[in-house]
Amino acid sequence: MKLSVTQIDLVYKFTLDHFVKYYDLQTELVDHLGNGIESQWIENPTISFDEALQNEFKKFGVFGFMDVVEQRQSALTKRYNKLVWKHFKAFFAFPKIIMTISLILGLFFILKNILFDNVLISVFVLALLIYSFYNMIKNKKRADKKTQLGGKRWLFKEIIYNYGNSFVMVSLPLQFLIHFPQISIQNNFILFALSTAVVAYYLTTYIMFTIIPAKAEEYLLETYPEYKFSK
Amino acid sequence: MKNSQLYKGSLNTIIMKLLGENGRMYGYEITQKVKDITQGELNITEGALYPALHKLEAEGLLDVEMERVDNRLRKYYKLTESGQKETVNRLAELEEFIRNMQIIVNPKLA
Repeated sequence: MKLSVTQIDLVYKFTLDHFVKYYDLQTELVDHLGNGIESQWIENPTISFDEALQNEFKKFGVFGFMDVVEQRQSALTKRYNKLVWKHFKAFFAFPKIIMTISLILGLFFILKNILFDNVLISVFVLALLIYSFYNMIKNKKRADKKTQLGGKRWLFKEIIYNYGNSFVMVSLPLQFLIHFPQISIQNNFILFALSTAVVAYYLTTYIMFTIIPAKAEEYLLETYPEYKFSK
Repeated sequence: MKNSQLYKGSLNTIIMKLLGENGRMYGYEITQKVKDITQGELNITEGALYPALHKLEAEGLLDVEMERVDNRLRKYYKLTESGQKETVNRLAELEEFIRNMQIIVNPKLA
């Protein structure tokens, strides 16, 4: 005996009730539980759907699907970080490296010739914050619109639009501003290292807030072959 | 999983070996296959299998395919090219481990 469409929907609901919010993970678990229920029916055709479902769920242990969800989250976060790293490396390869080096040198000369005080740092930090928040709002609108269309939640999509949960990234320059309001650097090497770090920081923000969200659909299709079925 | 501490480190290798032999497989199929081969001695728990599969997928060792079967979507896993190479390495490593264990546990036989 096979599971009916209504029963499949019930299993989807069961996973949702057990804290699996994401459609990608739900789908895999629904198929697994479905297979388990069907093989119980082969051995014992009189067992009810509910009882068979509970038996299968018990096999996941006392924490239920929690472990599976957590591990999936960390696996996909790793995938996201790899993606950021891939884009980041591109800025240090030809032809983009020309732009990157120009930015670093440009910043180096600004820092060297203009007084490096808290007004200048504030401008840098503020620009970054305004940029991040503006894109966050813009991306959120875009993501929400797509979710409404499909009605399903995808874990990798949430990671993309939560920027790998790296809000620390945004607050880091702010911390810098609070703790080091005035820095006077004479050493060229340190100044160059600082320019490189700042450019790397801005590039990472640009990758996470603009490049990846713009290609989100492409990455989702790569991650989820089922993504195209369900829109 | 039976004696989980001893088997835990080999779970990924078991999965990769099975995928190497069977082409593509889905999660439930893997648990059943292991049960069949070991005649019920070794039981991969669901709570361990899926995290392992997802980790291998994130590492680029496995690729996924979706198919509609019996009114629902089924996710199949298969080895990528780098996954195939890695399987050979990991199996060699596991065999070496078994050999060394045998020497330690039963020096006369080895």
